[in-house]
Amino acid sequence: MASEPLVLEAPTAALAAVIREQGAGPRMREDLGTYLRAHGVEGDDLQAMLDVGAERMLVYRQLVHNRFRNTTRDFIPRTLARLGKARYHQDMDAFLEEHAAHSPYLRDLPAEFVEWVLPRWADDPEVPSYLCDLARHELLDLDVRNDWRGGEEPTGLPLALDRPLRFDGAVRMVEYDHAVQRLTKAVDDRTVPDAEPTRLLVYRDAEHRPRYLLLTPFAYALCRALVLDGLAVQPGLMAACEALGEPLDDDKLASAATLFADLMDRGVCLGAEPD
Amino acid sequence: MSMLHEIQRTRAVPTGIGLGLRARFIEQVDAGKADGGPAFLELSPENYMHRGGRNPARLARIAERFPIITHGLMMSLGGPDPFDDDYFGFLRDFLDHYDPPWHSDHVCWSGQGGTLLHDLLPLPFTTAVAKRVASRVREARDRLERPMAVENISWYMRLGHGEHDEPEFLTEVLERAECGLLLDVNNVFVNAHNHGFDPYAWLERIPLDRVLQLHIAGHEPWDESLVVDTHGETVRDEVYELMAWVIERIGPRPVLLERDSNIPPLSELLTEIQRLDATYQEAVGRWQGRSAAQGPAAAISPAQEIGSHGV
Repeated sequence: MASEPLVLEAPTAALAAVIREQGAGPRMREDLGTYLRAHGVEGDDLQAMLDVGAERMLVYRQLVHNRFRNTTRDFIPRTLARLGKARYHQDMDAFLEEHAAHSPYLRDLPAEFVEWVLPRWADDPEVPSYLCDLARHELLDLDVRNDWRGGEEPTGLPLALDRPLRFDGAVRMVEYDHAVQRLTKAVDDRTVPDAEPTRLLVYRDAEHRPRYLLLTPFAYALCRALVLDGLAVQPGLMAACEALGEPLDDDKLASAATLFADLMDRGVCLGAEPD
Repeated sequence: MSMLHEIQRTRAVPTGIGLGLRARFIEQVDAGKADGGPAFLELSPENYMHRGGRNPARLARIAERFPIITHGLMMSLGGPDPFDDDYFGFLRDFLDHYDPPWHSDHVCWSGQGGTLLHDLLPLPFTTAVAKRVASRVREARDRLERPMAVENISWYMRLGHGEHDEPEFLTEVLERAECGLLLDVNNVFVNAHNHGFDPYAWLERIPLDRVLQLHIAGHEPWDESLVVDTHGETVRDEVYELMAWVIERIGPRPVLLERDSNIPPLSELLTEIQRLDATYQEAVGRWQGRSAAQGPAAAISPAQEIGSHGV
């Protein structure tokens, strides 16, 4: 039986606002009574919260903001070092007000923040154009490492043109506009990555470590057709060539055979899908 | 009969000093570096459930070495939102797999309107809120088909007027929910320091017969007037004394050492566990002496022991 939705009592709703609203601190310090009344706190509750004072309430704001900032920084440290502390805090403040977290797993928080902030960074000329790629790339490690899928058994069926292929559940495919995968892991490195279309297939190896494969445009288009779209091999080959505007020739078939063998060898491809 | 003894009829319950399992030293625990140290491990399911990679196998190996108790972070028992079915589904699967004697979470709220703030936020001490928390604890217990315990939190401000103080509020929650108490004695100390009350007087006003487990941890100053429950320091002597005071009155329980920041090497945590255990064993000895002095019935039932002291 599901619980009934409940209305939060005014003091609790006001504390949520204290934590989430941008500019809450200055407004509370200027006139706490007005701030609390604007959030529906009245009577004895209002007096009790006035007695507490703004600074003590703002401790909760600081605790929550620190947790959000530190958790996210742990997972995308290079991106945030390049963004700068002031801008990062400004973005996280806005994230907390407009979105906050929705997953009960704290480890999902960095991905929630990045998903929310990327369109804003992409539209902002003050943010380096490669930073969106770097943020996504840093998150990939966490994503692939922790995916609850992966490590499935091979199907035992050989590749067949008329069947889709089964891939390991933790496989990811990404495209970047910059070669951020070539940057060093050093947080203080400020090298600007080359503006270069980049296509990666990422998987988890037998030791549970994320591994990155740099794909050619054809290999990426083929893997995309097979992994993401779930096409059978032959239609997948056709779709990949169509996407590139190139014919399916012997070179492409040879390339595909090499790719499949490599992916099988790495445990990325688990064989043909059974009926 | 205490709630612990009711649970012990059907489930194995570890007692003694345990350790909260953390990513910082999980590899060492897996490698056997903590063997012979903690009496049990406590873990937060949210850190492991719905998560693959190396974690499931590693956790399974660790669970073969140590009894496991679980302690949740994100049930938001005081919150207004309906429980998340997916969360409860994964949680139930996790608990069914590791089969802890109970599951616990906090008397707090952590979000509203579908958003989560990933913190343990205070509740108004009102009967209406106590009813809401109790109702959700019962719902959680029914969904999980497992006993529930709730933990008293550190609170840094009284939220609104409220008609109760914390012991009254907590007692109302416990009795309405018919659940156990995970008594965090560091939180009692922190609250007593921040709000100027006697922690022993506080302890005398809560139903100790509902205590299933204790938490013990360190804390750090925020400013001149406020200390915060950071789990970032060694446990202070005053908190040792609170733990001993409780154990002396209720008998053996699982007591969990929490460390979440400034985490020292595992060897230091194991040394701290030894120190805590010495204090714990002395308190258990005093409890045994009290029980023996009061006859066989008292020795069997810590609840009678507590009652004899008027708590």
